[in-house]
Amino acid sequence: MVAFLDIGGAEKRFGAAAVLQGVDLSVAKGEFVSLLGPSGCGKTTLLRIVAGLLAPDRGTVVLDGADILRLPPHKRDVGVVFQNYALFPHLSVAENVAFGLRAHGRPAAETDATVAKFLDLVRMGEFARRPVQMLSGGQQQRVAVARALAVGPKLMLFDEPFSALDRKLRETMQIELRRLLRDLGTTAIFVTHDQDEALVMSDRIAIMNRGAIEQLAAPAEIYESPATAFALDFVGLSTRFEGKVVACAGGTAEIETAAGRLLGKGNYIPGARVTVGVRPERVRVGGALEPGENGVELPLRDAVYLGSKLLLHFDLPEPDRAVAEIGAAGFVLPAAGTRATLRWHFDDTLVFPEAPAP
Amino acid sequence: MTARRLDPALLLVAPAVLYLAVVYAVPLGLLLVKSVRMPDGFSLSSFVAFFADPFSWRVLGNTLRIALWTTLVCLLVGYPVAFALARAKGLPQTALLVALILPLSVGVVVKAFAWQILLRRDGLVSGTLVSLGIVDEPMRLLFTETGLVIGAVNVFLPFMVMPLYSVIRQIDPRLMEAAATLGAGPFHAFRRVLLPLTLPGAVAGIAFVFSLSIAMYVIPSLLIGDRFQTLATLTGRSFLFMRNERLGSTTAAVLLAVAIAVVMGSGWLARRMGAAR
Ligand SMILES: Nc1ncnc2c1ncn2[C@@H]1O[C@H](COP(=O)(O)OP(=O)(O)O)[C@@H](O)[C@H]1O
Ligand SMILES: [Mg+2]
Repeated sequence: MVAFLDIGGAEKRFGAAAVLQGVDLSVAKGEFVSLLGPSGCGKTTLLRIVAGLLAPDRGTVVLDGADILRLPPHKRDVGVVFQNYALFPHLSVAENVAFGLRAHGRPAAETDATVAKFLDLVRMGEFARRPVQMLSGGQQQRVAVARALAVGPKLMLFDEPFSALDRKLRETMQIELRRLLRDLGTTAIFVTHDQDEALVMSDRIAIMNRGAIEQLAAPAEIYESPATAFALDFVGLSTRFEGKVVACAGGTAEIETAAGRLLGKGNYIPGARVTVGVRPERVRVGGALEPGENGVELPLRDAVYLGSKLLLHFDLPEPDRAVAEIGAAGFVLPAAGTRATLRWHFDDTLVFPEAPAP
Repeated sequence: MTARRLDPALLLVAPAVLYLAVVYAVPLGLLLVKSVRMPDGFSLSSFVAFFADPFSWRVLGNTLRIALWTTLVCLLVGYPVAFALARAKGLPQTALLVALILPLSVGVVVKAFAWQILLRRDGLVSGTLVSLGIVDEPMRLLFTETGLVIGAVNVFLPFMVMPLYSVIRQIDPRLMEAAATLGAGPFHAFRRVLLPLTLPGAVAGIAFVFSLSIAMYVIPSLLIGDRFQTLATLTGRSFLFMRNERLGSTTAAVLLAVAIAVVMGSGWLARRMGAAR
C-alpha cells in the first residue's frame, strides 16, 4: 500500500497529560478509515494535528508526498467537518458552501455552479437561501459536509459528525456519506466512538485507546482477530475471563480462570496474567464437549430475544463475563439459574497478555 | 369579566419609567419648551438665529469632530482589547477586566486633572514621545484637540470594549478554525467571519462612545479650555456664566437631536445586521 496520508510517531502532551503517545497511521488514497475509541482517548487531538489546528510535540504528517506539518491549516488542503458543525451563523446555506470557494478565489460563475452541485449532492438544494440557524441538526450536518467537500480537499476529516443525530437519521447519513465519498473518491478519516458506525462505514478501523492506536485493520479482522483485550472489549460482544498461565508448551498455553482451565494459543511464561476471550457466535450451549474444544459450566442469568437469535448471558463475577449467541428457532430456553455447558473451539479462543497498568 | 389584563412585564418597568419621567423627561421637556417660547408666543426664531451664526457651525463642527476622533480611536484600540479579553482565561482575564472597570469608579474630574499633568509640555506623554524619537522636542498636548481626544478615549474606552467583548465572547472559536480549513487565510477569515459577527457589538460601542463624547463637559473644560467650544460646553456656559437661557436651551436641543440621530441610526444598523444573520 502506498500511503496517501502518513502520520508517524505523533506525540502531544497537555501539561502533565500525555494525550497522544506515538501515533502511527497510514491511509491509502480513496480509503475510508475510522478512528474508533472511547471519549478522551485523543481522537480529536489527532484530527486537529492533521488539520493543522494544533502542533504536535513530535512526529510527522505527510500528505500526498509532501510534509505538511509546518503548513498553516489554510494551505493544507485538508477539509474538516466539526463535531458541532461550526457553520457560519451570519451566512445562508449557499453562502456557507461558497465560503471556501471564494477564499480560494474561484470565479463567481464556477462558485455558483459548484455550490449548486454540492447542495444537490447532499439533497439541500431547495434550502440554499435559508439562514443556517433555521435548519435541523441533520440538515446542518449536510451543509457542513457540502461546505467542506466543495473546495475539493485532498483529505477529509470528520469528528463524530453524527453523534448529535437520532439513531434513524444517523443510519441514513452513514450510508449517504459513505456513498458520496466513494463517488467522489475522497480519502477520509472518520472519528467515532460508536462501533456500529465504524463497522458499517469503514474500509479499515483504527482502534484507539489512551493516546495510541492498538489495531488498524478491516472491520472483519478487528472483530474476528482483535489485537488486544481492549479491542475485544470495545468492538462487539464477547466472553472474557481473566486468568493466569499455568503451563505452556508448543505454542499452547493452559490458563487457569475462575470458570476452569482453558487452552489457548500463544507463548507465555507460566505465571503470566492473560485475558481469554471468545465471540458469542462461536460459543455453543449444551451438548457434550468435543475434542479440541474449551468448555465451562455456568449458570444462566438471562436471555435476550432478538428475533432470529437469542443472546444468553451467564453469571460470572466481574470483570469476567460470558455471553452466547444462538439461533432462536427450536431452542428450548432453560430456566434462569440452570447450569449449562458453554463450549467453543480451541481455534476460536483469543488470548491477550494483560494490558500494562495505565 | 373583561379579557383585558395588564402585561406583568409593564409592572416590572413601571418604577424605572416613573423615575425617569419625573426627574428626566419633565425637566427635559421644560428645557425644550424654553428654546421655542418667546415673550409673544412660540417660534423657532432662536434656532434660526443659532444656525445663521457661523460661530454655531464651528461649535457644531468641533463637537462632531472631537466625537468622531474619540470614537474612531476607541474602536481601533478597543477591538484588540476586547479580543484579548474574550480569549484570555482565568487570572489574566480577571486582571484585564479589573483594569478596564476599576477606572470607571474614579471620577471624571480626577481623571481629567491627571491628564492635565500628563499632557503638559514637561509631562509624561511629551517626554515619552521625545525619548522614543517620535518628536524632536517637547510638545504641549494640553489645550490641544489631540490632548482632548487622548483624555476622552481614556475615559470612554470601557464603553467600547464591553459591548465588543460581550459579542466576541459568544463567537465559537471553531468558526475561525473552520474558515482556515476551508482555505481562508487570516485576513480573509477576519474580514468574512469575525468582522461581520462582531459588527453588532461595534455598533453598540460606537453609539455609546459617540453619544458620550458629543455630550462631555468636564473633560473639554479641563483639557482644552474656553477658547474651544462644543455644544455641551456652550450649553453649560450659556446657563452658568452668560445667563442666556434661550441660547442654552437651543444648543441643548441641537445636541439632543444629534444624540438621538446617532442612537437611532446605530440601533437601526444593529437591527439590520441582526436580521441579516
Ligand atoms: N487544549 C487542551 N488542553 C488541555 N487538555 C486537553 C486539550 N484538548 C484536549 N485535552 C485533553 O486531552 C484528552 C484527549 O482529548 P480529545 O482528543 O478531545 O479526546 P477525544 O476526541 O478522543 O474524546 C482529554 O483528556 C482532554 O481533556
Ligand atoms: Mg472528540
